[in-house]
Order: sequence, then structure tokens, then C-alpha cells
Amino acid sequence: MKFVKSPIIALVIALFFFTTPAIADEALEHKVKELAHQLRCPTCQALSVKESEAGLATNMKTKIREMLVEGKSDEQVLQFFVDRYGEWILRSPPKTGTNLLLWLAPGVLTAFAAFSVIFVLKSKPKKANKTLKPLSDAEKAKIDQALDDIS
Amino acid sequence: MNRKLVISLGAAAIIGLIALFFYGIYFASDPKSIPSALIGTKATDFTTITFLEDRQITLSQFKGKPVIVNFWASWCVACRQEAHIIEAAHQRWTPKGAVFIGIAINDERAASLGFIAKYGKSYLLAPDDLTGNISLNYGVTAVPETFFVDPEGIIRHKVLGAVNGRDIDQFISKYIQ
Repeated sequence: MKFVKSPIIALVIALFFFTTPAIADEALEHKVKELAHQLRCPTCQALSVKESEAGLATNMKTKIREMLVEGKSDEQVLQFFVDRYGEWILRSPPKTGTNLLLWLAPGVLTAFAAFSVIFVLKSKPKKANKTLKPLSDAEKAKIDQALDDIS
Repeated sequence: MNRKLVISLGAAAIIGLIALFFYGIYFASDPKSIPSALIGTKATDFTTITFLEDRQITLSQFKGKPVIVNFWASWCVACRQEAHIIEAAHQRWTPKGAVFIGIAINDERAASLGFIAKYGKSYLLAPDDLTGNISLNYGVTAVPETFFVDPEGIIRHKVLGAVNGRDIDQFISKYIQ
């Protein structure tokens, strides 16, 4: 039985040692891609660092990988690039301060413009009613006279 | 509710939206004038080994002198345009105490050496490291890019694209007569 068990245990141990670094590498690469996706490629600005093959974007991916291996957090990695390039390097700038105003302004302005248009359209008939004056007795008599003339 | 007030505010909101739209398109995203977050901050120190003299240089060793740090590559077309401009400025100002450093990024060593020979560049020329740490620390967005570092080691100005001699002269003449 020992003869049967030992090769199996050896295989399991071997598999563990061979696959663990591969899984760790895969997780690291996944994290590199995730962070690279959040950064704008400085050379070709329509692309993220993850998508870009430009030399500087490749360097940035290498730097992200190095920092993660050193044990730096996601925030520290992103801050490294923000410190050097400014918030401009983030594809989705933080929603605080002036940025928050810029994020909210289009929505608020659109909502208010829509509200104004609806308000004006809805209030139009009421205004028309308000401007109508009741007929005077003389006018009523004139209308009655005209109707009598027709009939 | 006051109808006139609502109409006025609605009109203001629509004008605001249009203004935001045009600001975003024409003023907020000019790719040729990417602001540097490093203007007015201390230039990150770096050490590298020059191509020609095989000499180790460190930025901080030039404290007290105005330094022009230019990032370039042999494959970059605009770097060919500015090669003679920087070399001429180096010939004018280095004897008087200014320092010119050219850092080659994302370039093959042989190609860099070929470029140096072809354009007769003779100032301090050295490669970035394998990761590109020097250029990343300076927030380089493309080549060529030139940083103007004052004698105190503060980055005072950055030029994206080919630099012109007048900019270099104006900057250095503030510190050297």
C-alpha cells in the first residue's frame, strides 16, 4: 500500500509546487491588467495602458508589475503615476472637488432644462385661460342679436 | 411658480450645457499641451552611464547649474529636427556652466549610438534603465520632451515636441550671462 501511496503523494506535492507559482503569476498578471486598464496611455491617449503597445505604456506595465511584486497596494501604484502625470493619467478621475462639479453639471443642467421646457409647455393653457375676459352684457346682447339675424 | 424665472433659468441651463460641450471639445483636451504635474517641484535625481564616455552621471552632481534634460529616441522623427538645435545650444552654453543631458528611451543601444554619430551629438547622452524609471519619474508622455531644471534642482518648464533654441537661451540666460 505504501508503494502505491507514495508516488501519488509525490505527484500531489509536485503538482502543488509546479502550479502554485503559475497561479500566483496569473493573479499578478490579472492585477497588472486591471490597474493598466485604469491608466491612460500617455502616448496614444485614446487607449488605456493595458490596450496600448507604445513603448511608454509597456514601461508603465513593467513598473506596475514591479511595484506589485514589491508589495505596493493598488492605490500606491495609481498614486505613483498621478504624482508624476497628474490626475489626467487616470481614465476615470476621482469624483471629488472640481471633478465632482464637472461630473454632475451635465446631468443637473439637462434635468433643469428638461424641467423648464415641460413646465413652460404645461403652463401655457392655464395662462391662456387666465387672459380670457368674461363677455359683457352688451357683447352678449350683440351675439344674441347676430344669432337671431342668422336664424 | 414664476414662469419668467423658470424660462430664464431653463435658458441659462441650456446655454450652460452648450458652453460645457464646446469647452470639452475645444479647450479642455488639447493633446499638444499636456500640463506637467512636476512644474515647480524638485527634479527626481537619477543616475545613468553615458554612451560615449562610459561615465556615471547623477543629476544632483550638477546642483548650482541650469540643466536641460532632454528625452529622445533614435526612431523619433521630431528628435532629428531638434538634434542640431540642442547640440548648438550645448556648444554655446556648456562652456559657460550649463549642463545638457540627453536620455534615450525605449531605444536599442546600437541605434542610439548610430543616431549620436549621425547628428554629431556631443553632450551627456545616456540610456534610461530597462524599466524606463527615469522617464516615468519625469512623467514623460512622448519623445522628444525637454525639462528645464534650475540651479536649485527645480523643474521650471517643460517642452513637448521639438525644442527651440530661443527657449533654451531664454531659460539659461536667467542664470548665466
